[in-house]
Amino acid sequence: MSRFKIGDRVTVRDIPPLFHTRTQGYTRGRTGTVVALRPEWVIPEDEAWGRYEGRREPFYIVRFNQRDLWPDYGGAALDTLETEFSERWLEPAS
Amino acid sequence: MATRATSSSSTYAALMECVRSHAPASHAVANLPLTISQTRAEALLHVVHDVGGQPDGPIDKTLHKPAHWEKSTHCTAECLAWRGHWVSEERRRRENDLGETLYFGTPYYARWLLAATKMLLDKGLVTPDELLAKMEEIRAREEIAA
Repeated sequence: MSRFKIGDRVTVRDIPPLFHTRTQGYTRGRTGTVVALRPEWVIPEDEAWGRYEGRREPFYIVRFNQRDLWPDYGGAALDTLETEFSERWLEPAS
Repeated sequence: MATRATSSSSTYAALMECVRSHAPASHAVANLPLTISQTRAEALLHVVHDVGGQPDGPIDKTLHKPAHWEKSTHCTAECLAWRGHWVSEERRRRENDLGETLYFGTPYYARWLLAATKMLLDKGLVTPDELLAKMEEIRAREEIAA
């Protein structure tokens, strides 16, 4: 059961990375839009440490405006970036 | 195949010169007793593969033709996963664990190879003795072939 649906505005949680992460530093605390749902899979935080049958969560593709990610972004206002998160990294945008 | 770099004092000196060149060109000197600021602690926890936003040189867009050892490395990593010894996410974590000097100082598939080697040793699937014996065996074979 997915907590978010396509079109939802979500903010990436700012949790410290401990030796490994799939959540890029430049997305922490930034807000984007869910554009696709991905099937449940074992979260990277478990797989990375040998828990191959660890906790499973839905994954989401989130689209950000490049200007929301990079303060000095010099490209077009329409430019976007998409990346993927497990559910634990996202919360509803306030 | 070249003889081992530690075989004489002059080649050992050359090796050490090369090892020193791996060190970062600029680094903060830590004082003793060792204390660091919160900002620096957070910077130290930054994961080495998370390079987005860092300055870098121009990207080489030429198509790379994989060498035999690179293909073998990829196959070995896949076979280790197939037999349940790791998954690709664990490999990536282990590449980070190599530390910045090795992470940025070794070719892409050399990182895979180092991560695989340490995994095999960590999990007791090979012993250091077995690994060194095999390396010597291959070195001798290559020297005869050369």
